[in-house]
Amino acid sequence: MLKTLRNILKTGDATVKYPFAPLHTWPDMRGKPEHDAVACIACGACAVACPPNAIQMQTDLKAGTTIWSIDYGRCIFCGRCEEVCPLSAISLESEFELAVMRKDDLIETCTYQLQACSECGEYFAPRKEVDYAVRLLSSMPGNPEVEEAAQLASVCPTCKRRRDAVAAKAADDAHAKAKGGEA
Amino acid sequence: MSLRKTYQVPESLQARLDKVELDDKIVAAKAALLNDIKRSVYIYRVDCGGCNGCEIEIFATITPVFDAERFGIKNTPSPRHADILVYTGAMTRSMRLPALRAYEGAPDPKLVVSYGACGCTGGIFHDNYCVWGGTDQLLPVDVYIPGCPPSPAQTIYGFAIALGLLGQKLHETNIVEGADEHAPLLYENVPYRLRVEIEREARRMAGYRYSEKLVDRFMGALTAEGVDVFSSVDALIANEPDPRKVEIFSELKDVLVSKAAGGRL
Repeated sequence: MLKTLRNILKTGDATVKYPFAPLHTWPDMRGKPEHDAVACIACGACAVACPPNAIQMQTDLKAGTTIWSIDYGRCIFCGRCEEVCPLSAISLESEFELAVMRKDDLIETCTYQLQACSECGEYFAPRKEVDYAVRLLSSMPGNPEVEEAAQLASVCPTCKRRRDAVAAKAADDAHAKAKGGEA
Repeated sequence: MSLRKTYQVPESLQARLDKVELDDKIVAAKAALLNDIKRSVYIYRVDCGGCNGCEIEIFATITPVFDAERFGIKNTPSPRHADILVYTGAMTRSMRLPALRAYEGAPDPKLVVSYGACGCTGGIFHDNYCVWGGTDQLLPVDVYIPGCPPSPAQTIYGFAIALGLLGQKLHETNIVEGADEHAPLLYENVPYRLRVEIEREARRMAGYRYSEKLVDRFMGALTAEGVDVFSSVDALIANEPDPRKVEIFSELKDVLVSKAAGGRL
């Protein structure tokens, strides 16, 4: 009896005070994925990686926007988005109080502008992504290949291909002409 | 016959049950009860097709550490005694009738809680052939508790919301990109290629989560002002008590040295 009482006193109260006091959480806890809308370049790596498709990207080519959205009700808190994010714009924080009364409250969206091609005017990539690539490339001066890539950053892949084809044809014509001149 | 052919019941042969709608009298009774709740609430748990992770967390919630019973929340073995119905798992085709029977079996007014990612939206099984989505496809849900599975603390928070003891924190947010917004470059003062090599090596050594923190400290040493780069990195290594981190920092220093020797910064 005395031994039991002593053990009880020694063990103390095992029950946590939550919800009357904040719960002790650890820094590596996988809680709510916090999205930093400013650091995000809307590249969509997280949407590709997300196993339950909680993160989705919806592109509207008419309006020129792409909407990044996360559904916390579908998230499985695996941290793959954090792993693939090239800018550390999303990370799993220790916030865990996510219960809601309305389902729509579980959804967070973020609208980004698209970049229009400087030649054909079609939207082809998020504006922030192109802007980020240009700034990254311009941090590596002295390389002609890099400089050319930076100059062509706001040209869409189709137009780049057309430029390449036109350049190749011109080179071919010049070559044929030179050959014809020789003969 | 192609290998992709699956033997699922065609949509035209599947009975799609209509969602249960509450009539005004029950809604009023529920509101009145929640306004002035003076007794304990009993919970009945329905697994509609989950992985059992949610059940384990529900049982963790009634253990002495989280002790949901101190609020009078008690697990009951019959829906006839229940005030709160907790639906875990995605709403599957074969569990829709048992789910409905449990709902009809519980006396009004009752609360329905959608528990876990699968209960809320179908979770990772949302596009499975036999999954209809979350509990809300069939029943009027009062509270959604997301998580995969929700921890005991999340569960207690969800019940507190259901009973109106706490307010909800999460709200629908729609952010729009600001005009002329630029994403900040990470470690702007460190040459890009060196940064990538260091990040890759750190990730190889420590995984994505810890490598980010280690790289952050390493970059801090690299960009420290007024000190020679190598001496500041050496100081970082010398001051680190954890031998594992020392090894990783040493490897990162090797990357730095080889890059500097090659002159390809």
